[in-house]
Amino acid sequence: MAFTDSEGKSDDDSKVSFESMMYDALKIRLVEEKIIEIYHSDRIQSPVHLSIGQEHVAVGVCAALRRDDPLFGTYRSHAFYLAKGGDLKRMFAELYGKATGGAKGKAGSMHLSAPEVGFMGSSAVVASNIPHAVGAALAARRRGTGQIAVAVFGDGATEEGVFHESINFAALHRLPVLFLCENNGYAVHSPLAARQAYRIGTLAAAYGVPTHSLERGHDMMGIRDLTAATAARVRAGGGPEFLEIHTCRFREHVGPGTDFDAGYRDDAAMLAWQATDPLTVHRDLVDRMTPALLAEIEAAMAFADDSPWPGPEELLTDVL
Amino acid sequence: MSSESLNTGAMPDTLSYGEALRLAMRDALACRPDTIIMGQGVDDHKGTFGTTLGLAGEFGADRVFDTPLAEEGMTGIAIGAALNGLYPIMTHIRADFVLLAMNQIVNLAAKYRYMFGGCFEVPMMIRMVVGRSWGQGAQHSQSPQSLFAHIPGLIVVTPSSPRAILSTYAHAVRHVRNPILCIEHRLMYGLDFHMDEEMPADPLTSRRIRRGRDLTIVATSIMTLEAQRAARHLADFGIEAEIIDLHCVSHPDHDLIMDSVRRTGRLLVADTSWLPYGTAAEICRIVAERDPSALKAPVATLGMAPASCPTAKSLEDVFYPSLRDLVDRAARLVRGGNHGIPLPDERSMADVYKRFKGPF
Ligand SMILES: Cc1ncc(C[n+]2csc(CCOP(=O)(O)OP(=O)(O)O)c2C)c(N)n1
Repeated sequence: MAFTDSEGKSDDDSKVSFESMMYDALKIRLVEEKIIEIYHSDRIQSPVHLSIGQEHVAVGVCAALRRDDPLFGTYRSHAFYLAKGGDLKRMFAELYGKATGGAKGKAGSMHLSAPEVGFMGSSAVVASNIPHAVGAALAARRRGTGQIAVAVFGDGATEEGVFHESINFAALHRLPVLFLCENNGYAVHSPLAARQAYRIGTLAAAYGVPTHSLERGHDMMGIRDLTAATAARVRAGGGPEFLEIHTCRFREHVGPGTDFDAGYRDDAAMLAWQATDPLTVHRDLVDRMTPALLAEIEAAMAFADDSPWPGPEELLTDVL
Repeated sequence: MSSESLNTGAMPDTLSYGEALRLAMRDALACRPDTIIMGQGVDDHKGTFGTTLGLAGEFGADRVFDTPLAEEGMTGIAIGAALNGLYPIMTHIRADFVLLAMNQIVNLAAKYRYMFGGCFEVPMMIRMVVGRSWGQGAQHSQSPQSLFAHIPGLIVVTPSSPRAILSTYAHAVRHVRNPILCIEHRLMYGLDFHMDEEMPADPLTSRRIRRGRDLTIVATSIMTLEAQRAARHLADFGIEAEIIDLHCVSHPDHDLIMDSVRRTGRLLVADTSWLPYGTAAEICRIVAERDPSALKAPVATLGMAPASCPTAKSLEDVFYPSLRDLVDRAARLVRGGNHGIPLPDERSMADVYKRFKGPF
């Protein structure tokens, strides 16, 4: 069906529809709101880095990827896990530390993975799996799989040396890698200006890697279309490309709360972001989709609740 | 493992350590099309001290390639390649440089399988060379087996002979789906060895390489050769040393060590790294936990002096334990301080290995 987003753009049928993306984004939002609601109960057994405010990036990007395109994420990966197609029941079970979780309760929120849909795990050491995407791309080319590999990371990760080592090698060998930087302006509580002498949008150019910066990180159709065009060039052998998508984390860095009153962020900027959030703007659509999604979430939570804990025999399983 | 299963042709009677490494690398490329070798200078005219020489030409520049100077990044790239179906072999001309990749090895490669509940495996090999002698100094001489063997999820070997190399590397490439770190010793590269040594079917363990009734020497890497030289000297004076090549430092054969110590009652551990919190301490832990009553005397340990490696030869020669030290410690264990056994007049082990070509 045709739909028009907040910027008045229309959609076409060959692409993942706006409505479908709204559904995926709302699912992520409702899942995380449920996490916030139950966090005090300690049923969730790990720290949570929420994506609320940033879901649109994950949904827009994944709408333009192949299911088997390997994507490597960070500790803030609920959104990418779900957008890539990760199973909700297994996700809740993993958060609850249950044996039916994707990693049998050994991963928790920070290390979600779903290799069956190309979600290749998430690392809690900043920037550390950016090179894994480059290596996966090397393997993809050598094996002729037609995959492109995606490295997802925050603005802070570009400060790490391994980011530069990775993009250099990817560019040198023209590997099919999409570097995706979710620029939310902060690393924990530190603003970009306190950390970076460079501008992210100009970094990759030093390696001859084309960069596309998108200011409106709530524009899912724009993100989808930009990613699709970029991915097509990368897949065709044009070498790696870099996407910087500006976005806004609505919650505190880690944990279920908000922290606009903590004084390190600018209220006005936050309000401006919230005003463009499609999950607020398209209230009717949200209201229509919410009941079914809530039912799905409740079912996933019930599944996790009813699942067994991993037994002691699991402690030394999968070490080698 | 029979030598037929290696893609190396007929085995000669003697082989050098370095040539065994080249045969192992060639075999790794020949036995599976998804093997790649990546490292600084692997395709240059020196070919990683000869161990990758000619392989880019034979197997293709896309399978054997030079890398930027980016140890962490390249290790991560190898991990990603392993996750997506390749078998990467990384080379480092000095083990010291691998320390830049600690994050990838310890936080990522070692943990992928466990942390994601068995969803992933990271089959890959990281080769690194331990330097020694002629002023290698503080940053070109370290032997990091104790650091790595501390970490669950890693396999660490310190091969001491061509047979150990050929069987271990062939096994790793064919059957091991975890990261394996191979710590090779530069001083052995040019040495020729007899090829009649028996290897266990699963080479990722320890093995007894000499029988003896009076003491057990557990050794790693080149200290295994030193132990053999010491044992020959001791035998002239009626002391018979049993020698265990620890080989798989991360997964030593506890039973083999314990059985031996029960028979000899005496344990000397000779390692190429430092003693505190190290490999030697770990062997003592195994014995202390399993059956300390098997010991008739306190344990003895030999390793590098607790300092960074100095360059001056006069200091380097005392930084590393010598054949003299080894003989003396072994003799004291068996006969006490006044053992009366003459000590070999040899101060610099490095000189010996440079002159001596073998076969060992
Ligand atoms: C190597 C490393 N250093 C520091 C940390 C602590 N830390 C966790 S998240 C984070 C901020 C990273 O910021 P960014 O990359 O912008 O991602 P965001 O959290 O904003 O999504 C820091 C510093 C870490 N996990 N890893």
